[in-house]
Amino acid sequence: MRTKRLTIVMSALLVGALAAGCTSGEGEATPQETGPVDLTFWTWAPNMDKIAEVWNQAHPNIHVTVSKQAGGDESAAKFLTAAKAGNAPDLMQAEYQMLPSFVAAEAVADIKADVSAIKGEFSDGIWGLVTLGTDAVYGVPQDSGPMMLYYRTDLFTQYGVTVPKTWDEYAAAARAVHAKDKSVYLGGFSSKDPGWFAGLSQQAGGQWWSIAGDAWKVGINDTATKKVANYWGGLANEGVVDTQAQWTPEWNAALNDGKLLSWASAVWAPGVLSSNAPNGKGKWAIAPLPQWSASEQFSGFWGGSSIAVAAGSKHRKAAAEFTAWLNTDAKALDLLIKEAAVYPAAKKGQSLLTQAPDYFSNQSDFWKVATTVSSTARGFTFGPNVNVAYSAYKDAFDKAVQSKSSFTDALTTVHETTVADMKKSGFKLAS
Amino acid sequence: MRKQRPIGWLPTSLLLLGAFYCLLPVIWVLTAATKSRAELFTSQAFTPGTGLFGNLSDLSAYRDGIFWNWMANTALYAGGGALLATVVSSVAGYALAKYQFPGRGLIFTTLIGGILVPSVVLAVPQYLLLAKLGLADTYWAVLLPSILSPYSIYLARIYASAAIPDALLEAGRIDGASETRLLRVVAFPMMGPGMVTIFLFQFVAIWNNFLLPYIMLADDGKFPLTVGLYTLLVTGANQPALYNLVITGALLSIIPLIALFLTMQRYWRTDLSGGSVKS
Amino acid sequence: MARARRGARASRAGAIPYLYLAPAIALFCFFVAVPIGYTVYLSLRRAKFSGLGLGKGSRKEIFVGLDNYRAAISDGEFWASWVRVLGYAIGVLVLMLGLALVFALLLDSATVRFGRFSRIAIFLPYAVPAVVATLLWGFLYLPSLSPIHDLLEAVGITGVDLLGPGTVVFSMANIAIWGGTGFNMLVLYTQLRSISRDYYEAARIDGASEWAIALRIKVPMLVPAIVLTTVFSIIATIQVFSEPVTLRPITNALSSTWSPLMKVYRDAFVTGDLYSAAATSIVIAVISLIPSLGFLRLVRRRAFGEDV
Repeated sequence: MRTKRLTIVMSALLVGALAAGCTSGEGEATPQETGPVDLTFWTWAPNMDKIAEVWNQAHPNIHVTVSKQAGGDESAAKFLTAAKAGNAPDLMQAEYQMLPSFVAAEAVADIKADVSAIKGEFSDGIWGLVTLGTDAVYGVPQDSGPMMLYYRTDLFTQYGVTVPKTWDEYAAAARAVHAKDKSVYLGGFSSKDPGWFAGLSQQAGGQWWSIAGDAWKVGINDTATKKVANYWGGLANEGVVDTQAQWTPEWNAALNDGKLLSWASAVWAPGVLSSNAPNGKGKWAIAPLPQWSASEQFSGFWGGSSIAVAAGSKHRKAAAEFTAWLNTDAKALDLLIKEAAVYPAAKKGQSLLTQAPDYFSNQSDFWKVATTVSSTARGFTFGPNVNVAYSAYKDAFDKAVQSKSSFTDALTTVHETTVADMKKSGFKLAS
Repeated sequence: MRKQRPIGWLPTSLLLLGAFYCLLPVIWVLTAATKSRAELFTSQAFTPGTGLFGNLSDLSAYRDGIFWNWMANTALYAGGGALLATVVSSVAGYALAKYQFPGRGLIFTTLIGGILVPSVVLAVPQYLLLAKLGLADTYWAVLLPSILSPYSIYLARIYASAAIPDALLEAGRIDGASETRLLRVVAFPMMGPGMVTIFLFQFVAIWNNFLLPYIMLADDGKFPLTVGLYTLLVTGANQPALYNLVITGALLSIIPLIALFLTMQRYWRTDLSGGSVKS
Repeated sequence: MARARRGARASRAGAIPYLYLAPAIALFCFFVAVPIGYTVYLSLRRAKFSGLGLGKGSRKEIFVGLDNYRAAISDGEFWASWVRVLGYAIGVLVLMLGLALVFALLLDSATVRFGRFSRIAIFLPYAVPAVVATLLWGFLYLPSLSPIHDLLEAVGITGVDLLGPGTVVFSMANIAIWGGTGFNMLVLYTQLRSISRDYYEAARIDGASEWAIALRIKVPMLVPAIVLTTVFSIIATIQVFSEPVTLRPITNALSSTWSPLMKVYRDAFVTGDLYSAAATSIVIAVISLIPSLGFLRLVRRRAFGEDV
């Protein structure tokens, strides 16, 4: 009896010691990264698993497992909750506008030491989106979304519209098209896409957030953005631009059926068009966005994301190595373009783009135009509560579209909501 | 033996109208699943398309057939969760219905009160809690919370009081049967039909659950259908929604439940008190 | 020996019901009570940043007392959302439970044909997950694809926007009714089937019509079940959020705080403000607790004949 109990106690101790040994052993091994490490990677880019497989083949010591996530507003909150619980993945696709809030929540790691060598692969404007203007580096840029005007060449001819060079011309064309056919619009205003509106505001020179010393300056209702809001508010209330919710089946049908003649979108649009407006193949073309003044040549960014390393990752160095490879290695970039339909942020990635997307087979200089546009995109800084501002945008502009009320008032609401939230959270605000 | 009654045309047509209303969107899913990408946004809503097999093979090919993984996961979550929930709820419902003990009212009210707390409120704290135990992103993270079902406990109590006569339990006790034996030999068989109903309700509830698995699971290989289909629908910034795959997937995800309804017919129809009490 | 065993069993019998309830109670504690406790804890706290909030250590979680509650209660939009949801809930409840009752009675009527088919058809929407249901109705509501619009146009009604500010509530209610009627019908129908047929035969011999049997015998015997489904439906309807959340992308007429729980959802799942979400949750729970407890008392008295 007694021996039996003793055996139990002994084996329990032994198991405990073994367990302790294992954990401490692992702890020591971490800085060295000797054994094979397993990395998890949350992304919503298509076919990323295939790209990771290529990496895994070449790097037996660092195995990356892709977990494809849903995108959307909730994805950022899901990541933050996971980080709070200490359960975040090692690698995370982080949209540029969400990165500051990830940094503020201390959910992503500073990987400067591991990736500073690749800084030169990116333009300063793009690199600024992952440094947030600080000394740290919080991710490696993956793709970017310079904005351009997509238009139906056949229907422009049919309605007698020339490609608008300025927003004034765009407005005139919008009126003319809608007057000819009440069911057809030149383009649309999207109260569902704060990122789209932010891109157009960037083009006009808006600076929604900026850093002044150790304080944030919020300028969502700055002069440039007000001008943009006022412009679209005028067209929307006149009823000459489409204000239906975008990204819906109805909107797809409108694009497909030629009820929408153009779309102010970003470089990733071919994927969307070819998938949801298959009838338009070979009929669309791109041009730079209309300008606020004929002498200017500016664009803005809509969308784009970086790959960040979670602060809780036990294999920070390995993860940083993978994200650097994914977004700067020539082979990886080629895969990103072909498999994930990504417009790479890396400069050399852009030179890999030679053959126009299949959907744009009629426009052989597609990538040339895109690259030119990309170089005219204005820089932008995102603040630490973009999700609050974007959520407020949807509410305020939904309402303004619905009640045909002032867009500048809606913009003021977004500004005030954002500032109030920052104050409540204790961020220092420049007066 | 029953006298054949004349057909009531008014009630029958009312019922069929209701059936039509409920079936309409399901028929839409059926026709939409047959449409190719180009047809989906152009052809009339109820005109069948030509893309069914294309859609099915696209769906099966998507991420090496992960859809079938989701299907199997959902079956596991719903089957396992509902089975455990049925046992736990039935035992609890039986105890509440057939025993007098201090705190009965309080325990019942508290358990049922659980239904007042919406899953949106509980999801994040539950996640943080399970993460502390190292159970987040495991099958348990979805299974365990699904076992507690206030609604099932409620139904179980109703079924137990209706189906099990006190006299039978008393007779069993006089014959010297232990309480656990009474549970196994008397209560469970008599509550059987009701337990099947509880199982089915809970099965469907878990099958359709979205928020809990959404927050609990990170690895898309462990996703159930709802969360998996959601990743196809909300594909992320600047990516087109994969409508054809979502619709075809939705259709496939409904089929097992329809099969379950059809095969379980017998149980839905079973009298709750009648048959068992009389036998 | 035998006596000793019997004595032991008698004393154990006292613990038996607790033993049977133990798994449910344990699960309740772990998955409801503790999370609620954690929610209360979170509701008293808040993330506080200093400076730009970007450097290490610039984020702290601090105790803020009742600040989050004050913010939740003083939000006019929050109270407006209650008003919206109450109006919506009344409409949904009356229609959904009315239909469920009618269908259950029709199914139980001896003169109806196609009962089996109809029962499954009406119950079928219950098998459709909310995510899919809203996607599917979303397609059906959109003008260029919708057979509903074709139907309306056929009878001369044109230009109806099913997702406009005045109509979206009805479109949403339709989804809830479509999805919920079958479930409630089945609960009522299950109850109806458990009523002994002898009652009806006796009434028929007395010359009562089917309608009279339904109204005078069946409905009164259904009362406990009706109360039950009403209570659960009220709770489910007040908690409405998945329909508006999933319809929001296709309409401009729903705000992110249309219903009280949507605000919780937005804070917890969109803007990542768990603390505000927690406080709002507690406020919602307290508000819905009072009428719900009243209903539960009523139910326990009516459905189980308990004195409480």
